[in-house]
Amino acid sequence: MACRRPFSGAIFLIAFAAVWLPATARADQAMIDAAKKEGQLTWYTTQIIDQFARPAAQAFEKKYGVKVNYVRANSNDVALRVLNEGRANNMQADVFDGTTATAALKKEGLVAQYVPENAKRLPKTYVDVEGYWVATNLYVLTPGYNTELIKKGTEPRNFQDLLDPKYKGKIAWGSSSSSSAAPGFVGLILAVMGEEKGMAYLRQLAKQSPTGLSVAARQVLDQVISGEYALALNIFNNHAVISAAKGAPVDWIPMSPALGVLSVISVTKAAPHPNAARLFLEFLMSEDGQKLFRAADYLPVDPNVPPKDKSLQPDGDKFKVVFKTPEEIDRDMPRWTTIYQDIFR
Amino acid sequence: MTTEWAVKSEDAQRAPSGLKRFVNDERMILVLLVGAVFAVLVLPPLLFLVNGAITVSQNGVTHFSLARFTSLLAEPDIWMSALNSVLFALGSAVLALLIGGINAWLVERTDTPYKPLAYLTTIISLGTPYVLYTSSWLLLLARSGPINSWYRDLTGSTGVLINVYGLGGMILVEGLLWSPLVFLLLGATLRNFNPELEEAARMSGASAFQMLRRITMRLSLPSVLALAMLVFIRSSEAFEVPALVGLPGRVHVLTTDIYDLMHRSMPPDIGSASTLSLVLLGVVSLLLYYYGRLTRNAEKFATITGKNFRPNRLPLGRMRALGGAVLVLNFLLLLILPMLILVWASLLPFYQTVRSSAFKLLTLDNYAHVFESSRYLSLLGNTFIIAIVTATAVMVLTAIAAWLTVRRVPGARVLDQLGTVPLVFPGIVLGVGVMQLFLNVPIGVYGTIWIIVWAFVINYLPYGTRYSFAGMLQVHRELEEVAAMSGATPFTGFRRIVMPLLAPSLIAGWLFIFLLSTRVLALPVLLSGPSSQTMAVAMFDLWSNGQGPELAALGLVWCGAMTIIALTFYFVARRSGVGMYGQG
Repeated sequence: MACRRPFSGAIFLIAFAAVWLPATARADQAMIDAAKKEGQLTWYTTQIIDQFARPAAQAFEKKYGVKVNYVRANSNDVALRVLNEGRANNMQADVFDGTTATAALKKEGLVAQYVPENAKRLPKTYVDVEGYWVATNLYVLTPGYNTELIKKGTEPRNFQDLLDPKYKGKIAWGSSSSSSAAPGFVGLILAVMGEEKGMAYLRQLAKQSPTGLSVAARQVLDQVISGEYALALNIFNNHAVISAAKGAPVDWIPMSPALGVLSVISVTKAAPHPNAARLFLEFLMSEDGQKLFRAADYLPVDPNVPPKDKSLQPDGDKFKVVFKTPEEIDRDMPRWTTIYQDIFR
Repeated sequence: MTTEWAVKSEDAQRAPSGLKRFVNDERMILVLLVGAVFAVLVLPPLLFLVNGAITVSQNGVTHFSLARFTSLLAEPDIWMSALNSVLFALGSAVLALLIGGINAWLVERTDTPYKPLAYLTTIISLGTPYVLYTSSWLLLLARSGPINSWYRDLTGSTGVLINVYGLGGMILVEGLLWSPLVFLLLGATLRNFNPELEEAARMSGASAFQMLRRITMRLSLPSVLALAMLVFIRSSEAFEVPALVGLPGRVHVLTTDIYDLMHRSMPPDIGSASTLSLVLLGVVSLLLYYYGRLTRNAEKFATITGKNFRPNRLPLGRMRALGGAVLVLNFLLLLILPMLILVWASLLPFYQTVRSSAFKLLTLDNYAHVFESSRYLSLLGNTFIIAIVTATAVMVLTAIAAWLTVRRVPGARVLDQLGTVPLVFPGIVLGVGVMQLFLNVPIGVYGTIWIIVWAFVINYLPYGTRYSFAGMLQVHRELEEVAAMSGATPFTGFRRIVMPLLAPSLIAGWLFIFLLSTRVLALPVLLSGPSSQTMAVAMFDLWSNGQGPELAALGLVWCGAMTIIALTFYFVARRSGVGMYGQG
């Protein structure tokens, strides 16, 4: 995938069309009225409740008087719930989000096409070409390190540095089939270096015997903070910033290019409250909605809402990002996982 | 001793006297009734499991296939993982039985001092959220943990004293996790011991050790075996400890292999988890068959008879101090150390190992968050209703089932088998199975707390069954026969005679299931709807967000509250329970 190109011609065209098509005025009154009539919506979310899910639900209720019932689970559970509800023709969810589940649920025919008007001003990377999802926020996956075990200034700056024998046995990463774990790093290396060189590099890296931890990226980073490992690969860079702000001995490394993953949101096809669902997507993609992501220390997709810590965001110059869409991750993950299992296990 | 009532079905056909037929009918109706409830609970997820294991879906078309079994066998290193699984499960069972068994015997059958410590240890450790308890062991024993870092400070070495990541560490943590269960269950068995046989042994000149070995241990054999089996099966099904402790040391077991296999696709491929469960179900059935043969002559083990008794306590004499030391050590190891590290974690803004430089970071902020957040309060109600209803339903159902099974009512054997099957349901299979049931039978249960109760009742049936069965084996039928002769119906006999005598086992089981249902995370997160959120969901949130310190604070507050509830309940029940034996 390409790096971010904020103003390509296509975007301009879409933005142009958006202004001139009266039927799709932004969060128009008819939609608001219909949503109010429905009165509520159910949102299956992977966002942390205290940090994002509840503030967003409250802000939406305050603005439109439509209640948001949220259910928090990880992406596996969200996928299982939507899948089973869909197969039983008993859909409860109106809206769901996540990083990869969308692609699989799309194939099952459980996702509705809807591109919020408010999303049409975004770079096209952030909107599904088929219109099934729109990205709400970004995750940038980089290495992170313990600043007591690795002095600042001596940390590895590029992929070759990671092969330094002094890091042998001191590297950790997640072991699950996830973009924020070892297989995601495998995918990044193959995309950056190409098949042959990439595989050769990965075999070199295996000699460092990185430890695969069967926990989420956040907990891999926590183990680096507690000193169990010195270096973590493929962690969410905003997590390092959040912990460092509390005084934890941790920092992230803008190793370029990094892996970029989109957190995407969709409306279900059989949504019981379709209008409220669409209005909610409009809300999250509006500037107000995007500011909620910034408040939670996430990276908003809206170019007009920069994150609190701007350095987290790739600048397309010194710090580049390779974006993977949900479809690409869904397609390639089995292969990346197999490579990881073969080489590193 | 012949099984009078059971054989009666033949008698009844020959000479159907009115009374006898009624006796048979009432118990047969009960078998059918409880059997129907068990079937409705257990069969849908079981069918779902079997279906998932033997079918493959391709392009939307589902067809029968054994491909899952062959691909499981084709997994590289599957046999190594299988061997690790067996070693891990065996080691954990032995360790849990040793620790729990020694403590139970010391507390129930000797005059060892400091007995309350053992109860305190058990109840608090059972009330602590599972994920916290496991991580507290890891925090203690990790490379950067206090033990290893003090060792490095003292010796100047750069290595580790204890490497927890490996098979040994896995067995240690899993064994410790299960020892409270063993203590509770064996304790109930030992408390209901008729001392006559032991007294006879002593009078015939046996030493205390000979008596322990040849009488006490033999008589508790069915309970010990039942427990060993329980811990063995549960450990071979365990995922958390192998994943957290084994995988960093590159020790793979079957469950972690299956997890890898299952999560290669999105949404997770439930079929591969089902396949392993089906294999396990086979192994468990085999074990159950032998266990059934072993306990066929249940009367051999019955020690509660019509005679007045009170288990005597062995005076340890000079060994008393040693007994006390064992209990204190157990208290330190199972309670104080993990709790201390949790308290330490709960006082930090982010986790740091125990060291002087971290003392300046200590803060009560995490506790302030916990008490300020109104959200937790609103989750309490749901959590309690679920736990109380689950524990009560399971114990009532399994007590009746155990009674019918042990008294050999025709067809009752099936109850025991049905009640044990859920032992092999992996959480995710059970969760999705129950989810599908209530999505397809829309009676308004989906998304409410009752779907969680339903899943929990299925999940905990095996535990209830073991608790009730082990207790029931000890109650001799002669007490009910007296009741029957005095004109009571069998069910009255059960209610007025058996239930009170079973009380210690039933209370222990109730408590165990109550505490377990308040602390398990996976099922509620998969099944709860917007209005049925529980504490588990809040804890899962903190856990997945790297807010370990706040989770520690919440967990400690939570387990403080649980402990008070559990202790109150335990002592009230125990007092009335003692009264029920008739000699107060």
